[in-house]
Amino acid sequence: MSDPLIVIGTFVISYAAILGYAAYLHLRRRRVKG
Amino acid sequence: MKRVQILMAIAAAATVAGLYLAFTSPTDRLQGEFTRILNIHAPSMWVAFLAFGVTAFASIMWLIRKTSRWDRLAEASVESGVLFTATGLFTGMVWGQAVWGRAWDWADPRMASTAVMFFVYIGYLALRRATPDREMRSRRSAILGAIAVIQVPLVYFSVNLFRSLHQTQSIRPDGATMPTEMLVALMVNFVAFTLLYVALTSARVEVATAEERVASDPALAGDAVKPPRLSEVKDV
Repeated sequence: MSDPLIVIGTFVISYAAILGYAAYLHLRRRRVKG
Repeated sequence: MKRVQILMAIAAAATVAGLYLAFTSPTDRLQGEFTRILNIHAPSMWVAFLAFGVTAFASIMWLIRKTSRWDRLAEASVESGVLFTATGLFTGMVWGQAVWGRAWDWADPRMASTAVMFFVYIGYLALRRATPDREMRSRRSAILGAIAVIQVPLVYFSVNLFRSLHQTQSIRPDGATMPTEMLVALMVNFVAFTLLYVALTSARVEVATAEERVASDPALAGDAVKPPRLSEVKDV
């Protein structure tokens, strides 16, 4: 695997984790608040 | 637009700016493209330290005031802290594999102490789940949250105190060990990650506040629902 691809993959996975947590909070908030 | 949504929008804009600078700033001659990982790795760990510091402060405030808003802040901040420690560990492992030829070394004080800190705060979240009584849960987690913060300076100064594979701090009182363009990109990412932390923690506090309101409302919390009388249930 090429170096830029590994770096981009690392960024994608890290931001996906942060975005996933934000989405989880959004869904949990919607469930409580309606 | 509500406060949390505004915070999220500001954090998203700062993140886009940080990403742009991370991929347009110059790279190190030896490390090449992998230098760019610094723009997630260092801000992630900074935010984790900030989050655990906020948790310690909120925990001490709960022990003094006994008001649930401090307990909610402490829990929310730990969740964010664990998330950013995870991204810090992950990016560090990818970077280590590329530059040092190994992703993990238990003999390295920075890696080992970060892993211990990560698991202690996962333990904090597990402790909360394992304590159903609200008062007891707040007390136990406040004590742990106030004590566990000791690990933050240990992790930060581990590279100065012990022999480590990990480099020492890049930004020091006597200046930074990198060109200005790289430093600007890193600083923007520090700000972006701090804003992300503030937005996510505020959103988590908002969720906890709403859930607590529902739980304390007898009409919603289940007091209005009678348990089934199993003796009256007929076999079908």
